[in-house]
Amino acid sequence: MTTPRLTFDRVWKKFHRGAIHDSLRDLIPDLARRAFGRAPANAELQAGDFWAVRNLSFEVGPGQTLGIIGPNGSGKSTTLKILTRIMAPTRGHASVTGRLGALIEVSAGFHGDLTGRENVFLQGAIMGMRTSDIVQRFDQIVDFSGIADAIDTPVKRYSSGMSARLGFSIAAHLEPDVLIIDEVLAVGDLQFQERAFGRLHALAKSGIPVVLVSHQLDRVAQLCSEAILLNSGEAVCRGTADDAISAYVRQHEVTRTVASSGIVTFDSVRVIEGEAVQSGRRCAVLITGTVSEALTSNIDPLLVRVRSLRTGSEVYVTRSKRLGFEVKPGPLAVRVELQANLPPGSYMIEVAARDMPGERDVANGPAAVFQVVTANEFLGTVQLNGTMTAADGNGR
Amino acid sequence: MPAERRPSILGDLREIASEVISSRDLIHQLALRDIRVRYKQAVFGFGWAVLVPAAVVCAGLVVRFALAASSGRRFVSSELASMAIKSVPWGFFVGSISGATASLVSNMTLVTKVYFPREVLPLSAVLGQTFDTLIGGVLVMLLLPFIGVTPSIQLLWVPVLLSIIWLFVLATGLFLACANVFFRDVKYLVQVFLMFGIFVTPVILDASAYGHRGSQWMMLNPLAPPLEGLRLAIVEHRSLLVEAVAKTPATNPFVFWHPWFLAYSAAWAVGGQMLSAIIFHRSERRFAEIV
Repeated sequence: MTTPRLTFDRVWKKFHRGAIHDSLRDLIPDLARRAFGRAPANAELQAGDFWAVRNLSFEVGPGQTLGIIGPNGSGKSTTLKILTRIMAPTRGHASVTGRLGALIEVSAGFHGDLTGRENVFLQGAIMGMRTSDIVQRFDQIVDFSGIADAIDTPVKRYSSGMSARLGFSIAAHLEPDVLIIDEVLAVGDLQFQERAFGRLHALAKSGIPVVLVSHQLDRVAQLCSEAILLNSGEAVCRGTADDAISAYVRQHEVTRTVASSGIVTFDSVRVIEGEAVQSGRRCAVLITGTVSEALTSNIDPLLVRVRSLRTGSEVYVTRSKRLGFEVKPGPLAVRVELQANLPPGSYMIEVAARDMPGERDVANGPAAVFQVVTANEFLGTVQLNGTMTAADGNGR
Repeated sequence: MPAERRPSILGDLREIASEVISSRDLIHQLALRDIRVRYKQAVFGFGWAVLVPAAVVCAGLVVRFALAASSGRRFVSSELASMAIKSVPWGFFVGSISGATASLVSNMTLVTKVYFPREVLPLSAVLGQTFDTLIGGVLVMLLLPFIGVTPSIQLLWVPVLLSIIWLFVLATGLFLACANVFFRDVKYLVQVFLMFGIFVTPVILDASAYGHRGSQWMMLNPLAPPLEGLRLAIVEHRSLLVEAVAKTPATNPFVFWHPWFLAYSAAWAVGGQMLSAIIFHRSERRFAEIV
């Protein structure tokens, strides 16, 4: 047996904006041109066409988990559709060896008039399971979904959460050789999400090749060994999941940037003394730039944000006026000290000048990434510097 | 880069066959879905299975009574038998073609979201209809002895004729399903055609009723020879390998059945099946973008 593998070899995919043929008047000459072989080569861009995926290559083998991230319309779904053979690439070659399991639209095949039980067999077959396999795993599927009471009720009477849970449960019992996951992690209530994520984690860690598309960056960071950042169909960054996520978060910030007003110009942001910080210890950051005379009292010229690259969310924000530090017009050189009471992971420091009443950034600066490491692993979201010592009955 | 696969007709056919065989469980489940959905919440239940044939027979009775009255002869029960026999495959044709034509577009969410060989959709639509037709067929079989039709060795032709009809219907369904993805007009054209098709198919009247020239034109319809064959084999106990001659008082005797008619239909069924399977297979990967 060949090793299961997902391959994308220089894949390009062209789409057309607008209707494909607006009317018969356009269609007939077009067909005629094609029939006489005078049509331009199919793989070239014509008016109204655009590349949804440009020259994308990757290979995912056993033990690898690839995350694909990027903004809406960056080509993630198209990539998945080409991988799952729903669409054919315009140029290049995509292949999957092994039995493919796709956790995409897990309840697409449900028919409202059929009962949950009947739909399990139907959806299972659509996903490529043998009827005998479904019979075998039926009880597990129903148990996992947690809707055993409603299994003989028509699906049209289900809540949307219930049908999503049933759909996910079927997909989760596919036992594939290679796995493709698309945004199905946000199914059902919190408890079910945890169960679903646990199941995916187990599948991903079982050593089969996995491709995951998600906007939940923390899930990507947790599941994926590497990641690709797509933008307008192109891979703009590939590397470890942390690298790609950090590029994504930064790119995301940059696109939000207002044209620098000239009031504050940042030159550099640098973590002093290496980029690895012990969790719970202090670290220092040097920020340089220029502040112009046009500075008004409405603007706080120095705002510092710390962002977790795992989740993309802000973990700490502060600014000069809050800290009682006065920034004067002229050259700027500020040392910011932070106590990294953070769990291990990658974090990013961004600087900005902010118009406080207007609640918008008037200037953005470069960002610096630092790693938080710890010798004493812990779970949770905050480093509390826990210690344990022997004590007597009075707590001393 | 791996070399582009050169499409060859034989290779495509082999691919289609292996895809269909490997998705037999899916085909089964989809056909089951169509059947279940049709009978759930339907008061009339399995009565729907015989609705179209029964309506055709009723309409036919009216026409034949009128004809018998105007030509001054008596209506004979074998006429009822031949209509009943032909109305069931006709109902199958109408149901399957309209179901198969819509199958890809009505399952749009599946086509754009999940991969499976697309052939299974029209195929399972035809299979679901086959189930209905079997019910109707059994009913007609039970009815025949009561209207004076006795069994004969020529009943052996029935499976052959039904297979030709089935293959031809599947071929047409595959092609129309595919065409409907690209042009929505197809669905409406098909509806119109199905409504008027009965006038160019010998269902209510036998082919011989159209005269020498008329019956020959009629037999150009690939569905006509197997339908007419069913009547000849079941009701008239004739071998289909022998020419049949119509003797009516109004015209000279003429040949209205020839074994070649059957070969002609079989060629349509098999050739059409291969052609439409290949057309379907080659346009299949564009469905998700166009539909």
